[in-house]
Amino acid sequence: MFISDIFGLAIKAVVAVDTSHISQDVGSTHNDSQNCTKMNQAKVPSVEVSQVTKVYRVGHVNYPALKGVSLRIDRGEFVAIMGPSGSGKSTLLNMIGTLDRPTSGRVRVDGIDIRRMSDDQLAKIRNRKIGFVYQSFNLINRLTAVENVEMPLIARTIPKNVRQDRAVKMLGAVGLARETRKRPTELSGGEQQRVAIARALVAKPTIVIADEPTGNLDSKTTLEVLNYITTVNKEMGTTFVIVTHNPEVSNKTHRIITLRDGMIEKEQRLQRIDSYVGD
Amino acid sequence: MFVSDVFGLAIKALLDRKMRSALTIVGIMVGTAIIVALIASSNGMSAGISSTMGKMGASTLVVNSAGNFMSGGSGTQYKLSQDDVRILSSINGVAEVIPYYNQRATITVGGTSIDAEIEGMDLSKLSDLYKGIALSNGAYPSDVDVTAAAIGSSIATPTGSTVNIGLNNMISVTLSGGGGGSSSGSTLTFLVRGILSPYGRVLFSDIDNTIFIGLQSGQMLLKSSYYSGFYVIASSTDDVSSVQAAIESQYGDNVRVMNAGSMISNIQSVSSQMTVYLGAIGGVSLFVAAVGITNTMFVSVMERTREIGILKALGYQSGQILSIFLSEAIVTGAVGGVLGTVVGYFLAYLMGGMMPMGGGPMSSGTTSTEPIFTTDLILFSLLFPIAVSVLAGLYPARRASKMNPVVALKYE
Repeated sequence: MFISDIFGLAIKAVVAVDTSHISQDVGSTHNDSQNCTKMNQAKVPSVEVSQVTKVYRVGHVNYPALKGVSLRIDRGEFVAIMGPSGSGKSTLLNMIGTLDRPTSGRVRVDGIDIRRMSDDQLAKIRNRKIGFVYQSFNLINRLTAVENVEMPLIARTIPKNVRQDRAVKMLGAVGLARETRKRPTELSGGEQQRVAIARALVAKPTIVIADEPTGNLDSKTTLEVLNYITTVNKEMGTTFVIVTHNPEVSNKTHRIITLRDGMIEKEQRLQRIDSYVGD
Repeated sequence: MFVSDVFGLAIKALLDRKMRSALTIVGIMVGTAIIVALIASSNGMSAGISSTMGKMGASTLVVNSAGNFMSGGSGTQYKLSQDDVRILSSINGVAEVIPYYNQRATITVGGTSIDAEIEGMDLSKLSDLYKGIALSNGAYPSDVDVTAAAIGSSIATPTGSTVNIGLNNMISVTLSGGGGGSSSGSTLTFLVRGILSPYGRVLFSDIDNTIFIGLQSGQMLLKSSYYSGFYVIASSTDDVSSVQAAIESQYGDNVRVMNAGSMISNIQSVSSQMTVYLGAIGGVSLFVAAVGITNTMFVSVMERTREIGILKALGYQSGQILSIFLSEAIVTGAVGGVLGTVVGYFLAYLMGGMMPMGGGPMSSGTTSTEPIFTTDLILFSLLFPIAVSVLAGLYPARRASKMNPVVALKYE
């Protein structure tokens, strides 16, 4: 009686792991769909935000964080979102990153309406299409650099040798070939942010979302990181949406969107999107 | 996610907080060890008792004069005589009545003194009474050969003595009270005619430590005109209870009637109750350990709120996060279960050595019992801690998996 219970529980636990594995497999037709979107990419914008509002409710008081924001970000575009604190930058970024859902309005990422998606479907979209870079790096300190970079691929059930290979190559690409076995605490701020960028890019996302990626870095490292982002943006056609306070950073982008009080205050086009499209 | 990755991440997380993981594992280990040790030694005890009881046929009843049990020659006790053989034989369902004399004695062999029992009875009936009893050497003395004896194997080759007793040797035995006679302290000499093969304990007596003599010599040498008791053999095991009832109604409180079969079931029911009771003690300590797991995991989930946010941002689904945290509990439970089983194994032997197998007032000494580890017990002790840990870890792990990524990422 007891032993059968134990087996029952054990089986449930294994099934919980296994179904995630299976659903990952189903999703591995991803490459084909990516090829399709490549052909259509001129038509389908990378991000489409229309009339989005977001109201946070704290106790009995409602705080509107976004009051009707509409914007469109094209494939391969490098966009800076600026604005004072409390203007709704992070909220907007969370919507684009599918970490949060709008109260009203519509958010489409790669043509997918995120309001219709379940939490797990959104997780899969993040895993395949979106990379995140944070001001405080958000690395897992007990894991080595290469293990941190492997994390998105583990969720996707990619065999250890394959993903390790990819992670090491990605670390090499951000200039950390010799630091793969080091833990984040053994790395400088700039090195940690490069590990985080490697982690964001290892799954070959179409969009990278960065919340003040250079906020904790000195000006020399800021430039390094920025150059790296620009290179990836140009060469791989990855869309970058970054929140920044630093004009040095925002001036390198294609477009600056300034938010104030939950609305778009102004948009400023700096450069045309070049390369990649039509490749 | 590969199962190996789920457990790999869990083990890394556990190693990251070694002290806490170790303490949680100790909790599980102690609970498991207690359960294993208690159940194994209690199993061993009841099996030991059953085996000593089982040698006497289930259809055999032992009838003693009440009081004979405790106080040796108390004057008020009922005297069992040849009349009683007739009375007992006439009871419906009785196949045979075997009277016997019984006296405790000390025998000295090569400087070592051994506590022994002298039993006088019709030796041709011995094999009816004790299943499979056999002589390794010599023969049973005939009834007229009043100074001859057949001795148990432990008397022939005493442990701790270099001197053995062979056939046709003489042995001196000092009576030490008890029984129906008044010959305490006197010394008897017997000629060894037969030596029994090792047999073991039956009910309260140790056959290997018994000197068997004929009924006649029992009466003469023990200087007792009354029997110590009767072995009453029922026609079938179905008759046992009716025979027992008949004897009890005939004699009232004057005699004590014991039956091997009913004693086995009594003792087994007591010992199974004891197993449940002792197992419950282990269960309680395992429950406490489970609360420890829940507590540790709650703290861990809270501390790693930001990490959970990171996992969500990287695209881990809630089921995957649940699996990672749950497998931390599984690993804790599995390690605790394995260690607990090993510790419990040794603990059971330690307890078996200390715990006397109570054999009642007539038993000559105590016997330590070997604990018994059944496959069920081992499976249980390996799997139950895992199940407990899964249950304990389920709620915190679920909480981790349901976290809002935006809130989790902001957590400082």
